[in-house]
Amino acid sequence: MTLRLFKAALAALALGSAALPSLASAQEFERPVRIVVPYAPGGTSDILARLIAPKLSEAIGQSVVVENKPGAAGNIGADSVAKAKPDGHTLLLADIGTLALAPTVFPDLTFNVQNDLAPVGMVMFAPYVLAVHPSVPAKNVAELVAYAKANPGKLAAANSGIGGLNHITAIALAKDLGIEWKTVPYKGGSAASRAVVSGESNVIINGATATLPFVTNGQLVGIAVTGEERLAALPNVETFKEAKLPLADAGTWQGVMTTGGTPPEVVARLNAELAKILAMPEIKDRVAEQGGSVRPGSPDDAKAWLANAIKNWGEVARAADVKIN
Amino acid sequence: MELFDNLLLGLSTALQFNNLFYCLIGVVIGTAIGVLPGIGPIPTVALLLPFTFGLEPASALIMLAGIFYGAQYGGSTTAILVNVPGETSSVVTCLDGHEMAKKGRAGAALAIAAISSFFAGTVATVIIAVLSLPLAALALKFTAVEYFSLLVLGLFAAVILAHGSVSKSLAMVFLGLLIGTVGIDVNSGIARMTFGVPALADGLDFVPVAMGLFGLAEIIANLERPAVRQVVSQKLRDLMPSRADLKAAFPAMVRGTFIGSALGVLPGGGAALPPFTAYALEKKIAKDPSRFGKGAIEGVAGPEAANNAGAQTSFIPLLTLGIPANALMALMIGALMMQGIQPGPQVMTEQPELVWGVIASMWTGNLMLLIINLPLVGLWVSMLKIPYRLLFPAIVLFCCIGTYGISNSAFNVWLMLGCAVVGYFFIKVGVEPAPLLLGLVLGPQLEENFRRAMQLSDGDPSVFVTRPISAVLLGIVAIMLLAMLSPAVLKTRKEALAE
Repeated sequence: MTLRLFKAALAALALGSAALPSLASAQEFERPVRIVVPYAPGGTSDILARLIAPKLSEAIGQSVVVENKPGAAGNIGADSVAKAKPDGHTLLLADIGTLALAPTVFPDLTFNVQNDLAPVGMVMFAPYVLAVHPSVPAKNVAELVAYAKANPGKLAAANSGIGGLNHITAIALAKDLGIEWKTVPYKGGSAASRAVVSGESNVIINGATATLPFVTNGQLVGIAVTGEERLAALPNVETFKEAKLPLADAGTWQGVMTTGGTPPEVVARLNAELAKILAMPEIKDRVAEQGGSVRPGSPDDAKAWLANAIKNWGEVARAADVKIN
Repeated sequence: MELFDNLLLGLSTALQFNNLFYCLIGVVIGTAIGVLPGIGPIPTVALLLPFTFGLEPASALIMLAGIFYGAQYGGSTTAILVNVPGETSSVVTCLDGHEMAKKGRAGAALAIAAISSFFAGTVATVIIAVLSLPLAALALKFTAVEYFSLLVLGLFAAVILAHGSVSKSLAMVFLGLLIGTVGIDVNSGIARMTFGVPALADGLDFVPVAMGLFGLAEIIANLERPAVRQVVSQKLRDLMPSRADLKAAFPAMVRGTFIGSALGVLPGGGAALPPFTAYALEKKIAKDPSRFGKGAIEGVAGPEAANNAGAQTSFIPLLTLGIPANALMALMIGALMMQGIQPGPQVMTEQPELVWGVIASMWTGNLMLLIINLPLVGLWVSMLKIPYRLLFPAIVLFCCIGTYGISNSAFNVWLMLGCAVVGYFFIKVGVEPAPLLLGLVLGPQLEENFRRAMQLSDGDPSVFVTRPISAVLLGIVAIMLLAMLSPAVLKTRKEALAE
């Protein structure tokens, strides 16, 4: 009896192992997956990565580790992903807008953004807020332009670091509006918004996460926002599009990439899991807390977006003549 | 009363069970490393930084702060019983504390040291609470111009107040400033002195440099010395000091507390300055100075109060201005940044429960320290029996793990090991590495603020003297320089530091 049972079990096992190969190909992840965040802990990318990691781990049945590799505007972390084994086990969660500018702004870049990295999918978008210190008598774009023209040299636009998308946006904006302002670089977005609150600089263009709290509590005055529609928190502030400003699609674009040359089916699997995670209400809520909205999409959409951004924003950066080294 | 509201808010944070727990962990670790010569709070805090990421910001800071002032308690235990300073700040405690122990009054010396530290800690907590609000309000008016002047003041203070020769500390500050220029320049985006190494793009990380220069170098230097650790063994049963002891010690305690509080706030003060100054003062005003060095109780009470008060008030510039007063506070900035908090005056208004929680936790922490230090002193002393051959390899291992963990960078581990060699050289030639570290931390800020001020004023340097706060700060620097150059001051400084 027991022997027969044993034999039956053996047979079942043999059958099972015969069926295993097909199962194994569905199980693409045989070791822990790393999500590299190329910035210090605590920023938007880091928070997103730490939100996504446990959910992804559940879905693929492997542990998912978040690793912070800060330095050189995110290029050190991105480089480590670009040079990893192309099997989808090393992911990058970063501001793709900044990554799109890198080839133009950093001619010494150690990797090729389009070939050495493969987009998995977009994660979120948070619009930029253009705001001024209350000492600047302007409430909309027209008044700001009028003030700038009447008071040359009075405006100083803070940005979160040289060569970043908000730096380029400030230069492009001034050019388009025919006004002049100094662009003052700070170390990171929160230092920049603090400087504008204290009045050291008096204009800021930066992500809603860092800027919106100061506008809603009245320490800064909102002038315009990027993105397709007005912000729910600032219904009276016009969009870049309404004000006919360039770079209306600028903002914080967070996305997931993996190593270039990763098999498309692995990327597809990752994208499918990412889409499921981004559809979870708790994730949506946390992203909204960061001042943005989730942007699920296919890898090809992300690829096209990246190519477009590299071309368009690169042109703007070249026109602004921002080059590092 | 806004002050009481704030303190109550702080207490409600500090008294949460998990925060009490982390505070206890912090002060226990602090006491342990304080007792052990060779490991100070700087490498310990650096080591624990990566592990604080998962904690609430308040818990993380409460624990790290506990390590810092806990070490001041532990350091004096070793000083009194073994005549080896557990920390640089307890060097002077050896002088009279160990003499008292040799005369069979170890219990009284330990108790006075702990009571003085507790008294100073309590007063300093109140001082921080009172000063923080007006200073933070002032700090909100700070722009690049004022920050630049404040940093100049801090660097000059570091040189003048440093322990040892002025020329050496000046050289170290400049070396620090120079090393601080490595990396991508914020204003132009140009990489400087990186030799094409991407890991240098953001400059030399402060933590591995600190751990190499202070932690590992100190261990190498300790290996050379024979491990003479003769513990004064005697019954510590009579811990309670006599009424006469308390009466003699109390005025010294009060004076030490105020000296420590004042010197702790000064940027660049360093750990050795408050206790040395307090000791010099006690000796000067004593009726019979010859008692000092032979077991005078004031010589324990004054410096012990001063070092603990100084350790706590050095949080003021950090909490109000976002500027580190010493190397350890620079690590605290790192801890804040890891939590996504940009240190600066806005933290006070945006995260009051964090700031006041940390302040209030200093008081609960001091209370815990009093309890774990007095009855449990025997336990701490037995820790000194751990042989170095087990302790040191463990420390080196933890330093490597800790350094690697901060940004997952193997480069930082090599940097730390390189700095250990350099630090050993510094110890051999008798130069203090603290000013270098301060130069390294403050240098990039100094340059950034100077250039930003220039950019905003269209290159007009007169802004530094026409803006009132900046003018006052630079005025203090000028007075300090003049005083430095006057022969009378030079002479007294030499005498004071020769003590």
